[in-house]
Amino acid sequence: MLISMLLMSLAVAQEVPKEYGKPLTVKKPTKISEILANPQTHDGKRVLVEGPVVDVCPKRGCWIQIGSDKEFEMIQFKVEDGVIVFPMEAKGLKVRAEGIVSVTTLTREQLIEQARHQAEEQGKLDEFKPESIEGPKTVIRLNGEGAIITK
Amino acid sequence: MPKIRWRKWNNILHRDIGYLVVALTVAYCISGIAVNHINDWNPNYRITKEFISIPPIHAESRDEIVAQARASLRLEKEPRNAFRPDPSTLQLFFEDKTVSIDLPTGNVLIERATPRRVLFEMNQLHLNRPKKLWTYIADLYALALLVVSVTGLFVLKGKNGITGRGAWLTAIGFVIPIVYWIYYISF
Repeated sequence: MLISMLLMSLAVAQEVPKEYGKPLTVKKPTKISEILANPQTHDGKRVLVEGPVVDVCPKRGCWIQIGSDKEFEMIQFKVEDGVIVFPMEAKGLKVRAEGIVSVTTLTREQLIEQARHQAEEQGKLDEFKPESIEGPKTVIRLNGEGAIITK
Repeated sequence: MPKIRWRKWNNILHRDIGYLVVALTVAYCISGIAVNHINDWNPNYRITKEFISIPPIHAESRDEIVAQARASLRLEKEPRNAFRPDPSTLQLFFEDKTVSIDLPTGNVLIERATPRRVLFEMNQLHLNRPKKLWTYIADLYALALLVVSVTGLFVLKGKNGITGRGAWLTAIGFVIPIVYWIYYISF
């Protein structure tokens, strides 16, 4: 059993491109910079975005951060826990991801709670500084449904 | 009419299906404990962090910054990708590590995420990450466990069987989750 599990893991690790969740239906990609610049016009709309995977939820694989076409920008692609699980090996690979744009305004307390949870997941609780978090803030993310990760 | 020796067949089923489910039961138990405590540790990956220093990088263009960083860190291999989350940080992504450089200070964090071999695979199977065929294998396994547990009730007869000590222990097994659930929804 151990040997078969090891073989299976190697096969999974090398499988690229890999599809996650539902098949992609949107053909034309939307630039992440465009979504971030005009969130209200995209709110609730289904979009396809492309970019590098710059971070992955380390414990549950339930979100990835996708780098924008512009520097210093990224967007979170959040998926339902357990439905899609992104591996940490996806960091640095390219992704085409489809989801619904969600624009919400979070209070400072909600932002602190979210940041604390994220720091916990990343094992960076010692670096977590709630006093540095300002709010309320508009949070833009994609509620993910499907993705393809390629080299 | 010949007497059906149901207990004999019950015990044969219990024994043989029991043998079949041992491997997956062990895997699921270990994974269950590991995943139950996900808030305290990462059951899938071992993440190591290494901190080093290089001279500060003051280049202007992204390509120059990447080139300087690679030269300072003696990274011969081409990164998969490079990203700047903010003006003072550069991230270089390699197959086995992520290098984050604080450009003004030259402080570098090298992070490696290595799957916890065997436990990672157990977790993937337990949480049905492969989906597809594994969904049906897992269903069969669940049915097999059901048969093992029900036939287990009738393996012994007499005072240690289901009409004696077994009845009490089985009742305790039912009471624990029911009492806990009542407590959980009440408070």
